[in-house]
Amino acid sequence: MGLFILRRLGVMLLTALCLTFIVFWLTNLAPNLEKLAKTQGNARMSDEAVVSWLENRGYSQALPVKYGQWLGVLPGYVIEGADGEVRARCQIPGEPVEDAATFCGILQGDWGYSTVFKDEVGSIVGTRLGLTGKLMFWVMMVMVPGALIIGVLAGMREGSRTDRSLSTVSIVSTATPEYVSGVVFISVFATATFGMQWFKGTATSAMEDATFENFFLPVITIALYGMGYIARMTRASMTEVMTAQYIRTARLKGVSFPKIVLKHALRNALIAPFTVIMLQFPWLLNGVVIVETLFNYKGFGWVLVQAAGNNDIELLLGVSIVSVFVVLITQLISDIGYVFLNPRIRIS
Amino acid sequence: MTHSKTEIHPYAKMYAEDAKAGKIDRREFLARTTALGVTATAAYGLIGAAAPAHAAGHAQQGGTIRMQMEVRALKDPRTYDWTQIAFFSHGWLEYLVEYNNDGSFAPMLLSSWEVNEDATVYTLNVRPGVKWNDGSDFTAADVARNIEGWCDKNVEGNSMAGRFAVLIDEATGTAVDGSIEVVDDLTVRLNLPASDITLIAGMADYPAAIVPADFDAENMTGNPVGTGPYLPESLEVGVKAVLVRNEGFEWWGYAENRGAFLDRIEYIDYGTDPSAWVAAAAADEVDMFYETVGDFVDVVEGIGWERSEVASAATIVIRPNQLAEVDGMQPYADKRVRQAIAMAVDNSVCLELGYANRGVVARNQHVGPMHPAWADVPGLPYDPEGALALLTEAGMADFEMEITSIDDDWRKNTTDAVAAQLRDAGFNIKRTIIPGSTFWNDWTKYPFSSTNWNHRPIDTQILGLAYRSGEAWNEAGFANAEFDTLLAEANSLADADERREVMAKLQGIMTDEGVTIQPYWRTVYRHAKPGIVGWDMHIAYLPQMYKVALAA
Repeated sequence: MGLFILRRLGVMLLTALCLTFIVFWLTNLAPNLEKLAKTQGNARMSDEAVVSWLENRGYSQALPVKYGQWLGVLPGYVIEGADGEVRARCQIPGEPVEDAATFCGILQGDWGYSTVFKDEVGSIVGTRLGLTGKLMFWVMMVMVPGALIIGVLAGMREGSRTDRSLSTVSIVSTATPEYVSGVVFISVFATATFGMQWFKGTATSAMEDATFENFFLPVITIALYGMGYIARMTRASMTEVMTAQYIRTARLKGVSFPKIVLKHALRNALIAPFTVIMLQFPWLLNGVVIVETLFNYKGFGWVLVQAAGNNDIELLLGVSIVSVFVVLITQLISDIGYVFLNPRIRIS
Repeated sequence: MTHSKTEIHPYAKMYAEDAKAGKIDRREFLARTTALGVTATAAYGLIGAAAPAHAAGHAQQGGTIRMQMEVRALKDPRTYDWTQIAFFSHGWLEYLVEYNNDGSFAPMLLSSWEVNEDATVYTLNVRPGVKWNDGSDFTAADVARNIEGWCDKNVEGNSMAGRFAVLIDEATGTAVDGSIEVVDDLTVRLNLPASDITLIAGMADYPAAIVPADFDAENMTGNPVGTGPYLPESLEVGVKAVLVRNEGFEWWGYAENRGAFLDRIEYIDYGTDPSAWVAAAAADEVDMFYETVGDFVDVVEGIGWERSEVASAATIVIRPNQLAEVDGMQPYADKRVRQAIAMAVDNSVCLELGYANRGVVARNQHVGPMHPAWADVPGLPYDPEGALALLTEAGMADFEMEITSIDDDWRKNTTDAVAAQLRDAGFNIKRTIIPGSTFWNDWTKYPFSSTNWNHRPIDTQILGLAYRSGEAWNEAGFANAEFDTLLAEANSLADADERREVMAKLQGIMTDEGVTIQPYWRTVYRHAKPGIVGWDMHIAYLPQMYKVALAA
């Protein structure tokens, strides 16, 4: 088991290294650097100004050198610009250039500096991840129990009226993308059109102080979409288990139906949905982009959009690293979780 | 106050006669005279009117305002490209002069100024008693240093260099020696190598924020030294920015009853989609908008908000770039092609479809009736058949024109209206829409695209910024020696009547060359919930939050 986790961590590091290099290469393509210079300097800057802006700030160095500096294996640049000002990669804004450290990269725990937000990448990613975490937590709180209950209720008596109606509900909810359901919810529950102005159509204030009123709509919008899918998986797995030999044996022995479902069927039926639920984490992390934009909730998805839209190199790299780790860690947890749910599976 | 003005500029008296005779309207009169250094009060006096009283009597001291606005990163004020940046920084970095909706220029950090007859010598009188919030005095040296900074062309993206081009030595890219003269502690004299009537207007524009001696653009919020009544409390780009009153600091404006009523100003970013702003208004998360656009004027009034509107020279241009190469040729270098484009478009249709008739039709000249020296020059006639004939004659009837616009509400719609009319006239058109995050990367280079331009107070300003040969913002790729000469001449004529004759020729060239489609002047709107005073929409989007207050 220990070796397995170690090996997984190794793969994780290697993946992160490869992915960040690809992101680094793409964001450092010449047109992207020009875009960066113009968004940071002046949107209406001349070509010569763009070149000198890039040179003064170390963007004109060779790609491997820049990547090495970002990793922290090469010393950060110190460049005397055409305008006579000395700039250093490791300089902390507001402090003299001479005090700058030699190395400042990921290895030194320095995630770099976001050009668009003018702040440390580490703290931006931390704050925004926290906000998305809050959203995800409530989504999971609503989605997972809801989906499992619907799935189990529908799956325990295949073909019954309960099964048919619950299945219809879950198919409808999973077939409605967030940008449709979100807009519908806003127009029904956040405007006076239908006389049901119960919630707020924006979640901006929920970043500081989440209440039922301002947080319910974004949570339910994401939750409904995932809920239908997980409920379908649970139902399929449940119906399969319910036809198994040992369930029939239990019924023939006269065990009561609720007891069969809860004690004998449930644990086996949960293996498949468990993987799906674990896969929802990475999906949520990036899938919230639409809902965060729609409800103006500034979390991780919003940062990703801003970083990509403004070619904010170091912030994009930070976002990529976090994404790699979230995906691989949730996979690891789901692999380990199998062992506990299904004793036949061994990891070695 | 030292309004030590004994002499009133001779032209000001002449303008007063004109105004009384009804030859010019009040706004023109104020814009012209205050730019010459006459105070607004004195100017009103010249025409026998009383200056409008400030709303201070109805204002409540203290309170918080939450304003919907894009929150952008701070940078060196000279390189500001969005007024939203100035809305945050003007809390502590103030301006020498302010431009007001009635067209007048009011003194801020200057107490008064005089301009000589041919506009070659400006005498700037610094307001006495102004202090930086680190305790030091604000003096003529600070003013001179800032003007020198504005004249530094070597700073990448310094747009003030365009406004102060007359003072810049082409060889060094810095101010001409001896042009900025500190006479004494409270007086600066500008000796211009050539006439320029627009310098005061340039000082009132949003990148002209006055910064302290050891200013560090990288650490503006960390060390917020300035002369203003507020301090930055927090700045999260794209999320929220907060200004709070600088308690204990004696702002010069308190003694002058200038306001700064609010204790706290919050700017909250709701993105670029106006429906999100309306959702925020409905949820009572904001008290006022930065600007209300298009159909949302009606929507937001539906929830009970109050309107402020002002007819401005803010506009949109949909211009071919004469230098742009498409498939190895320069399709818009031919005057006939450009004229054909202009003739095929009915500007009133653009106004109706693009901006819901919330404005005034223009004539593709980028100078309008709100400018002091506007001349009544007719535009090209609307003639779609003639346009196609002209295009065919130029041999470009089969050429596919790609018209690019940003992805938003009114700019996209107006560009769509142009494209649709060109298609109706038989042109071969392709429309491309680019998201706002990337549109501005190449905005001057698109072969044919739309750009919004803000209001400028003086008629020659926009022509100098956007149409003079070789200017950084010359997106039409327009280069015309005669135009440049006439523009230089217009810039030396402080008298609007004399200048009008030159303007007529300039506007004639703009029309005849088919430089651009400039279909309409926009009326700009802002909305706020009831109970707030002093929040009027500004004609040039300039930040004047010190006037805003909760109603008493």
